[in-house]
Amino acid sequence: MRLKFPMVAFALEVAMIVLFGIFVKYDIEQMDLHQPNTTNSTEVDRYLELHSLFQDVHVMIFVGFGFLMTFLRNYGFSSVGINLLVASLGLQWGTFIQGIVHSHGQKFYIGIKNMINGDLSTVTVLISFGAVLGKISPSQMLVMTILEIAAFVGNEYLVGEIFKASDVGASMTIHAFGAYFGLAVAGILYHPSLRKEHEMEKSAYHSDLFAMIGTLFLWIFWPSFNSVIAETGEMQYLAIVNTYFSLVACVLTAYACSSLLEKRGKLDMVHIQNATLAGGVAVGTCADMPIRPFGSMVIGGIGGIVSVFGFKFLTPFFTTKLRIHDTCGVHNLHGLPGVVAGVASIVAIALGASKTSTMAMQAAALGSSIGTAVVGGLITGLILKFIVRGQPSEKNFFDDSVYWKVLKVTKD
Amino acid sequence: MGSKYPPSMRGCLPLWTLLLVVAFIVIFFFFTSYDTSSQDPKELTDTYRVLQDVTIMMALGFGFINSSLRRYGWSSMAFNLFLLALTVQWAVLLNGFLEQLSPQKVVIKLSSIKLATMSAMSVLISAGAVLGKANLVQLVLMALVEVTAFGVMRMIQAKYFVKDDHVNMMHIHVFAAYFGLMVAWSFRRPLHGRMMEKYQTEKRSSLFGMLGTLFLWIFWPSFNSALLPNERKNAMFNTYYALAVSTVTAISVSSLAHPQGKINMHHIHNAVLAGGVAVGTSCYLIRSPWLAMVLGLVAGLISTGGALSLTMRFNNMLDLHDTSGVYYTFGLPGLLGEIAHIVLITLQDDWTKSTRVEYQLLLDIGALSLALAMGLIIGLLTVSSSGCWILSKSIREREVLSEVETASFHCCLFLMTHTLYSEVS
Repeated sequence: MRLKFPMVAFALEVAMIVLFGIFVKYDIEQMDLHQPNTTNSTEVDRYLELHSLFQDVHVMIFVGFGFLMTFLRNYGFSSVGINLLVASLGLQWGTFIQGIVHSHGQKFYIGIKNMINGDLSTVTVLISFGAVLGKISPSQMLVMTILEIAAFVGNEYLVGEIFKASDVGASMTIHAFGAYFGLAVAGILYHPSLRKEHEMEKSAYHSDLFAMIGTLFLWIFWPSFNSVIAETGEMQYLAIVNTYFSLVACVLTAYACSSLLEKRGKLDMVHIQNATLAGGVAVGTCADMPIRPFGSMVIGGIGGIVSVFGFKFLTPFFTTKLRIHDTCGVHNLHGLPGVVAGVASIVAIALGASKTSTMAMQAAALGSSIGTAVVGGLITGLILKFIVRGQPSEKNFFDDSVYWKVLKVTKD
Repeated sequence: MGSKYPPSMRGCLPLWTLLLVVAFIVIFFFFTSYDTSSQDPKELTDTYRVLQDVTIMMALGFGFINSSLRRYGWSSMAFNLFLLALTVQWAVLLNGFLEQLSPQKVVIKLSSIKLATMSAMSVLISAGAVLGKANLVQLVLMALVEVTAFGVMRMIQAKYFVKDDHVNMMHIHVFAAYFGLMVAWSFRRPLHGRMMEKYQTEKRSSLFGMLGTLFLWIFWPSFNSALLPNERKNAMFNTYYALAVSTVTAISVSSLAHPQGKINMHHIHNAVLAGGVAVGTSCYLIRSPWLAMVLGLVAGLISTGGALSLTMRFNNMLDLHDTSGVYYTFGLPGLLGEIAHIVLITLQDDWTKSTRVEYQLLLDIGALSLALAMGLIIGLLTVSSSGCWILSKSIREREVLSEVETASFHCCLFLMTHTLYSEVS
């Protein structure tokens, strides 16, 4: 750890600086180039509008995803800390590679939009991080960030430019993609000791409360996430309202199903932490279509139900039968609702809610997202396992004290 | 004491909730439509900002502020989110119907969601008073009744008393506090030792409570100015100063009251917010900061004083157990704010047009007493009559106040770690 991690981190950061030095310029230079001596006030307004949404997405990434993963008793430091590390690298790399792809290898100018796209591509990595949480070393995580974002940008280019599918909240390209990528990596990094519940894989009363901080931040800002790349005005309004109602309906069904499935009708904190967010994912793809508020509530409700059932029945099945151990249950929070989102968009288009895309293209987008994710994840997993290496031994799974200066290993 | 375990929620909660979801979806199908007027992006962003701030207060602020009970953090947090989600849907519909009073479609605007979220606050405040003593089904019922009562009250006020949206909304503190107190009183039962053991905070859970307080504190200026069309700047400044002063007051009074000058975290949790509550109604009227600061000072004094003296008295004399101190956080400062508003309006009218002063005074007092009366009466009715048959099922739950495993959370993990911990130490 001592030599390898600093070397990898330094090397990557130096590479980022060099790449930015060669390829990246400010937006202002471009404005000066095209329209000298004009200060466009609408341009500034637009910037301010987007900036507030951009900050919301930022909060979701650093606070939301960071704290959502702190539910493990002895892995809170890593959850928040590595989340911060990975997100910082992902922002730079995502900004760069998306700019390069969209400018076809030329120099490009960064504005607020590029930063938003960089943020969004980082989200995929954080979702996948949830699947491998506790079973991977920081240097492996850095390498995975680089590989995953590259795969993500490729898939996004395919979906957006070639299929021209509509996916405003990026439920297929980000959520489904990130979840299945993470599952594939987790499948490669599987260790037999995970079949039974690992002795360190436990939550404590207060660590679950910390996770609720993440949940609430994500819940509050999800409408921003789904509307950040929507066109202004009408579309943005639709995206906000639809996401909002999908989320509130999802909360109700998630609680109901959780109570239905547990003994004596008690609620399960894991379901509350995760399934309440499924509505935001499930409505993502058709958020900017006029699907009526009740439509978004139906989608959100289904999202909540699917997610809770996934936690109850699919996760144990994945761990024992398919040899895929999904620590945070990202499959149930991002994967399944992402698929629901794709299907919902197909249904919505079939019912005539939108003319911008066709059913076939939506289906193709869903298929390519999952396909690229699984293939990319398998390759990445093999690279991590056999080339990067340094995975913690199974005794050290879910333990902060391997990577962090911990004062005293407390048992609560 | 009855059976050791509270009755199972399995038959009750999922059924009710799913029924509600289906009912909402059906109503939304028939009676709602999008806002089809063209959207000005700038205005949209502005409204969305305010909505976002209010949502943060409701979800994060109220979620965490009540999580300071050491064995009830999960429930207060999760029930809060549930009630918020439920209430917002109902309040959007209700406000829409009450505004037009004819079966037209309700147009869903961002501002109507904002209004609904603010109405949901009434439920979240009242839930604080019965915290740990009611189960989720009871709370659902309380939420539906309360938000309906609040909507009706606002409609009556808008029709007969004060037209202003902001003033109507700010009655929420008084209304919700008295509503919550009445519900809590109907749940009354003397507290015995075992319950008091659970009715305690500890260091870490207290910190979680502080997180909620801070979020409420930070976003309170947004809340107070959310419904104002133009005087928003003044309202924000005044709220800000009042909050600052009440914080200083609360901390110093708390320290003063302790024999060794120690500060009580419980006072900090609640009393620092009193300024924001007190200045709420009149924040747009106040022209100079000193007035807001005086209000903040008085509110801080009242609130800390209430926390010091009223809790035990309520408990012993009235059998009224107010778990999170709703009465002195929202009730008393709210009353102070209403009175300040009436005084200010009268003074202001004196300077401008002196003819309608009495009439205006009457209307304002009428509105305030309506809020009070509605809170008290509906609060009583909720538990005593309509709720009876549902509540009777789960009535035994009260005996085990604030206990995690009985409050419908399964926590095998928690118990396991807990035993591990006690073995080790």
